[in-house]
Amino acid sequence: MNGFRIFLSSAVFSFRAQFDWLNPVMWLTMKFVLSISQMAFFVFVGIFANAPIQFIAVGNALQSISWNTVFSVINITGHDKWDGTLPLVLATPANRLPLYIGRAMIHVLDGILSAAISFVFAAILFGVNFSQTNPLALIVAIVLTAFTMAGFGLLIGGFCFFFRNPMVFANIFTFGLLIFCGVNFPVSSLPAAIQPFSYIFPLTYGLTAARDAIIGQDLIQVAPTLAIQLVVGVASMLIGYMLFRSFENSARKTGKMEAV
Amino acid sequence: MMGMWGNTIYSSGFAIEFEKWQGTLEEVIAAPSKLMHVITGRAISNAFFGLTNMIAILIIAVAGFRVSLGIADPLMFAVSLLLTLLSVSALGLIFASAFVLSRSAQALTNGLETPLYIVSGSMFPIALLPFWIHPAAYILGPTWGVDAIRLATSANYVSSSFWAGMSPGMAIFLDLTVMILITMAYVAIATVLFKLVERRARITGTMVQA
Repeated sequence: MNGFRIFLSSAVFSFRAQFDWLNPVMWLTMKFVLSISQMAFFVFVGIFANAPIQFIAVGNALQSISWNTVFSVINITGHDKWDGTLPLVLATPANRLPLYIGRAMIHVLDGILSAAISFVFAAILFGVNFSQTNPLALIVAIVLTAFTMAGFGLLIGGFCFFFRNPMVFANIFTFGLLIFCGVNFPVSSLPAAIQPFSYIFPLTYGLTAARDAIIGQDLIQVAPTLAIQLVVGVASMLIGYMLFRSFENSARKTGKMEAV
Repeated sequence: MMGMWGNTIYSSGFAIEFEKWQGTLEEVIAAPSKLMHVITGRAISNAFFGLTNMIAILIIAVAGFRVSLGIADPLMFAVSLLLTLLSVSALGLIFASAFVLSRSAQALTNGLETPLYIVSGSMFPIALLPFWIHPAAYILGPTWGVDAIRLATSANYVSSSFWAGMSPGMAIFLDLTVMILITMAYVAIATVLFKLVERRARITGTMVQA
């Protein structure tokens, strides 16, 4: 019970502390603007290049989750360093696992909302055909993608404790997803040597499952893909947690908590 | 083009945001120099720093993707690039004035980056966009700058440019003339906005809290 309380308070306070400067109107406006502008940009590039725009619109709709669950989650580490809250986080006797994983959880909900808005735009503005879609399979794919991508965000966030400026990594990994995960073109279009890297990102599996759900596959049919995605996401989360504990131990020994 | 705009908008938005976070905006405002001059220096230097992005991307294009790059008119290419940099910087100044008053400069920065890529025709022709977006493209200096840069890169592009039917030299001249006029308008607007913003902030005393 105490672990659940820590998980909840970490989720809420981490999000509030990170976005205290953002009022609700601006938050919602940016959610719409970012979703539509990224999708529109790549769709028009696709039109120019005679690429299938439905593929691109769906890819960017699901990738919008990454802005919340990867970019923002990695930047929690940055804010802990910039805002001077890292010593407080490390000083608390609270259980570290719910504390660390909880901090990403509001971003999971935020990411699901981003994806929902983006999929509506994909249908209304870019004519994505959802008539064959299995809604349950698509919803599960979106929710699981948000959760597992938060795991990936926590992995990179944990890694970033050892560096001075996590923002750099947040940018690299969020934009890197556009290349590796099959957002705007299939993974099979990448050079063969690079393709294996695509499968370390939970988004790759989420996109496969979401696209299968849109063409009518049910939850049972997409379950194997989602199962692998869940394993990759949970493994990422746990590795991120271990990196956080490793940083904590190192910081206590060396006294260089905020020197990196 | 994308690198220049990204660097400019982030320098305008985040520079002010970081000043607020670190409590140094008061000193910047209290300094005898005008705020606009401080931000102008940052915007121009960051736009020029954006050239490093361009160089990196061109190297990747050539080395990684075997793209054949040629510049038909190196002098006009350099002139067009330089003037486009200044135009991007001037556009950034207009947004920077708003960022001074907003707590949400960071969000605005993120929100403004991609729309310019879409509207300026840097990645695909403006003709692909819905017609009601076209006026927004025409009032952007970088739109004309991108056209001039493409003309300087390849004379054959003239048939796809805004000035189809003219000679490439004349088309570049017209592109740059329009861009310079628009850039001058940006500077005039930014000057007025910075005065208004500074005056409002001094009267209400809410610049740092905003």
